[in-house]
Amino acid sequence: MPSYKLSYFNLRGFAEVSRLIFAAAGEKYEDVRYERDQWPAHKDEMPLGQMPVLEVDGVKLPQSAAIARFLAKQFHLAGKDNFEQAQVDAVVDTIYDLLKAFIPSRREQDEAKKEELTKKFFGEELPKHLQNLETLGKLYGNGGHFFVGNQLTWADLLFQNFAETFVGMNADCLNNFPWLQKNRAEVEKQPRIAEYLKNRPKTEI
Amino acid sequence: MPSYKLTYFNGRGRAEVSRLIFAVAGEKFEDVRYEMDQWPAHKAEMPLGQIPVLEVDGVKLPQSAAIARFLAKQFHLAGKDNFEQAKVDAVVDTIDDSFKGFVPTRFEKDEAKKEELTKKYFGEELPKHLQNLETLGKLYGNGGHFFVGNQLTWADLLFYTFAQAWIGVEADCLNNFSWLKKNRAEVEKQPKIAEYLKNRPQTQF
Repeated sequence: MPSYKLSYFNLRGFAEVSRLIFAAAGEKYEDVRYERDQWPAHKDEMPLGQMPVLEVDGVKLPQSAAIARFLAKQFHLAGKDNFEQAQVDAVVDTIYDLLKAFIPSRREQDEAKKEELTKKFFGEELPKHLQNLETLGKLYGNGGHFFVGNQLTWADLLFQNFAETFVGMNADCLNNFPWLQKNRAEVEKQPRIAEYLKNRPKTEI
Repeated sequence: MPSYKLTYFNGRGRAEVSRLIFAVAGEKFEDVRYEMDQWPAHKAEMPLGQIPVLEVDGVKLPQSAAIARFLAKQFHLAGKDNFEQAKVDAVVDTIDDSFKGFVPTRFEKDEAKKEELTKKYFGEELPKHLQNLETLGKLYGNGGHFFVGNQLTWADLLFYTFAQAWIGVEADCLNNFSWLKKNRAEVEKQPKIAEYLKNRPQTQF
């Protein structure tokens, strides 16, 4: 049994998908969380000066998607063969495209410009990407509620985390996407995930 | 033996890493290339209205990284076990981070602004990412010239093709990065790659 240590900020953010994977798999790990003022003292310990980082038996792995995919494969949440894993990866990349479109509105310092960018994101960009995600879910989902192959994979967990953040900012943003709403509901009612969501630290993002 | 059809523009861009994987593996595929004016007629055929798309026995897969990783795993160019594959994924994500800032410098229409963005990218941004890539190569490369585990993986092929784009704009951009230069030289002299590079279509991007 390898030992796992996950280091990140005290946020959901880019590490939460990995925490959800550990929870869904019922696997133990050290969940290291740094507050903003603690982080500078640890920056040099990380290969690229960034987090999250996963340490596996003492070897450090950066990059949140590489970490999550590794853990998903370890715990059979990545897709049952190479082509299914590719379909999961395609859904994951489409979710990350959605995040890329979101980030500029988060980084903008000017309040008026930030509001304009946020409005544009929720009004135009988010619906486009959500439509793409429904397309893939219907193409790969074998008629079920999960994105790929009629079973839970890390693509569903990744979507759940960021859907929670977006709905927290704009309560109606999934209203026109019943397939995605049903997907999120299916994920949240899995017993280990429901338990984890109930007990985890509450953070805004 | 599955049948493979790769569809993209008539350029290297985000499909070339997959073409390099097929070449190294000595595997056949249908290499569909659209000129810019041909593409609109085919856009609706693609799941997300984008290319590249890989069709495997008739099932379409979008997203260039998902495609390349799938092919690399099919042909044993992805890393020899789950943790090595994770290291390869971490290098790939870091190469992708490096390339993000490059794209806006190519598409900027205002000449003065384009020159300023390009100068900033090559002067400040890219060197930071190249340093990160050398860090990972030395951390995971087992003392060899390839990024992970002392053997060729798709991480080396992806770096090779994206670096060609940078060198096309700024010929000296790798001058301070001897490990990365040696890595590219090793990739280029692999017999199947040397043969492929000699014979492939010469395109603008």
